[in-house]
Amino acid sequence: MDEYQQVEILLVDDSPLDAELAMRGLQEHNLANNIVWVKDGEQALDYVYRRGDFKGREGSGPRLILLDLKMPKVDGIEVTRVLKGDEQTRHIPIVIMTSSREERDISQSYSFGANSYIVKPLDFESLANVASQAGYYWLAINRAPSS
Amino acid sequence: MLSAPTKSVRTKVLRVVLVTATLALLISGAAMVFYELQDFRNTWVNDLSAQADVIGLAAAPALQFEDPKAARDYLALLQAKPNITSAAIYTANGSLFASYSATGEDVSFPRLPDVDGHHVVENELVLFRRIVAGGEIVGTVGLRAHYDLSGRLLDYVGILGAIMVLSLIGAALVSHRLQRSITEPISAVTSVARTVLETRDFALRAPKTTNDEIGLLVDAFNDMLDELGHRAEVLEQSNEQLERQALERRRAEEALAAGQRRNRTLIDAMTQVVWRANNSGLFTGEQSGWAKYTGQSRNEYLGLGWRLAFAEEARDRLDLAWSRASASRETFELEARLWHAPSESYRLVRLRAVPVLSGDAEIVEWMGAISDVEDQRRAELELRTLNAELEDRVVARTQALEAANKELESFSYSVSHDLRAPLRAISGFSNLLWEDHKDHLDEEAKRKLGIIRGQAERMGQLIDDLLTFSRFGRKAIEPSELDMVDLAKNTFQRLHNGSEGNSIEFNVGRLPSATADRSLLEQVWCNLLSNAIKFSSQRDKPVVEVGGIVEEDENIYYVRDNGAGFDPRYRDKLFGVFQRLHDESEFPGTGVGLALVHRIITRHGGRIWADSQPGDGATFHFSLPREARHG
Repeated sequence: MDEYQQVEILLVDDSPLDAELAMRGLQEHNLANNIVWVKDGEQALDYVYRRGDFKGREGSGPRLILLDLKMPKVDGIEVTRVLKGDEQTRHIPIVIMTSSREERDISQSYSFGANSYIVKPLDFESLANVASQAGYYWLAINRAPSS
Repeated sequence: MLSAPTKSVRTKVLRVVLVTATLALLISGAAMVFYELQDFRNTWVNDLSAQADVIGLAAAPALQFEDPKAARDYLALLQAKPNITSAAIYTANGSLFASYSATGEDVSFPRLPDVDGHHVVENELVLFRRIVAGGEIVGTVGLRAHYDLSGRLLDYVGILGAIMVLSLIGAALVSHRLQRSITEPISAVTSVARTVLETRDFALRAPKTTNDEIGLLVDAFNDMLDELGHRAEVLEQSNEQLERQALERRRAEEALAAGQRRNRTLIDAMTQVVWRANNSGLFTGEQSGWAKYTGQSRNEYLGLGWRLAFAEEARDRLDLAWSRASASRETFELEARLWHAPSESYRLVRLRAVPVLSGDAEIVEWMGAISDVEDQRRAELELRTLNAELEDRVVARTQALEAANKELESFSYSVSHDLRAPLRAISGFSNLLWEDHKDHLDEEAKRKLGIIRGQAERMGQLIDDLLTFSRFGRKAIEPSELDMVDLAKNTFQRLHNGSEGNSIEFNVGRLPSATADRSLLEQVWCNLLSNAIKFSSQRDKPVVEVGGIVEEDENIYYVRDNGAGFDPRYRDKLFGVFQRLHDESEFPGTGVGLALVHRIITRHGGRIWADSQPGDGATFHFSLPREARHG
């Protein structure tokens, strides 16, 4: 249960309203202990790689990334491509959040290695499922990269 | 036609034989009858004379002793001769002495005896004989007897007739036999002659059966056929020869005409200007065509003056080509601009110069032609320009179309992402408002909040439907063989499980399989069946029925319900986007479903139509071509 509580979620969404709604939903499902919200893909990468604004940040993680697709600067597809292409980060589960069921979005996300795909407005039941799976995933591999 | 020649030989021969026989018989018969009658008469007279002599000899004593009774007894002896009807004896002085009658009646013998001799009175022969005794005439005997000449004659004629009939029959039979031997060969000849006339086969021959005159006739006929056949052959040969000659002549004429045409065309094709120059390229004689085209006077074009009619930039090229051709003694061609006097402008011409060579291959003179190709070149240029323009335009159009498609795609992409964001906020935050503050809201506020939430949801549905419409409208059709029964049943199961209300009776009739895109056809069944379910849901016993008909070149499918139906006046509006015929509160929907179905069916090359009466259910038909179309 401790491991599960420790799951740190990186929420990447350029829309504060969507982000607020998402965080509210996560809270209601007891998944909100440790949520970090960033506004675009660039910040997301900075956070993961501890650079820019997040240089020398505390803590580990993230252990789950909720990623919007359509964002200014670096979009969700690009973030997925970078993180899943990096041996250090490719084990971090990425759940794509998108407004549409456009096949183009879905297939692209999966082809770059996204783990799951949720249509907005978020269905929190399935999100909770994914999050807990992510938690078990961490339990199963037992150790996050300690660096 | 005369009647005689129509009678056959057969009849004629028969007639000749019969007439001849008849005449011979008649003549001989008449002669015989005449002789017989003479003979009869003489015999009868002699017979009677002898009778009279016997009576006279016997009666002579009775006369001498004047005993008439004895004379009558003698006369009575004549009863043995029934032909003698009566008799009388006269005394020497001529008085009647005794008489006799075979019938016993009184016979009126003449009172006086007639002279010696006999004569015929009616049918009787009367005869008188002197009775001579001792060298002295003592009396006369008279006898009267039947003389049946006509009876006799009748007998003879009868016999003669019978003989004639018999002999004529015999003659007819004999002649019939005989004439077959004559007419049959003649008939054979006739039939061969007729066949030859009809078939013109002169190789036929009449069969020769005898060596008599008829055989000769057959020979003559066959010889004639020989001769005719030979003549016909000769005639035919000469006909063929004539035909051949006529054909050759016609060909020659045609060739001649073609040659003349060719020459004329050639002259025309040589175009307007023909010119001649000497071996050095100098114009020497009259060049009327040249003068007319270029407007140069004789003095101007003579010598090398003609060069000046060409545009300046062309003269060097001309000189070069000419000198090359002179060296090689070959024809040369060149396009250059030549002054055209009538239009007072340079026009593009094609110059063609042919060297006329002498026996030792030296150039004697040059013959040339000039064709005006200005119009032709200009037309070609225009055509090329036009084609290029057209190609450019096609490329531009295609690009524009591609751009439009791209734009549409990115538009629908933006719609799905950006149009939804504010909607999500409206919907999400009104949800939050509800959850966080519903205890502080009065009923009216709750009602209004409910409206906002509901309409936001509806707007989301509209956007979803529109995107679906756009996506399926653009999706490439991937046809495969579809089991429509499975498709309809599965779709219905899926829809019905999710719907509440009365259980629906679902009847599946015969549905021919289709060749179409699976996901698109699923959408068709889904929309039509969900409509049927939706509109019949308020019935006590909702019934949805599907079925199909196989037509010659298309399959027709239908979905029927017993639901609310629609007013057939608005059937044209059914398939438009966002067109709805029912109140939202009554039957929710966005009005995109049927438009999408219409689009999918049309893209498959099919048709869709609907029949209904309000309150009486609706039937939606759609057809798909039997041969799949891609489009």
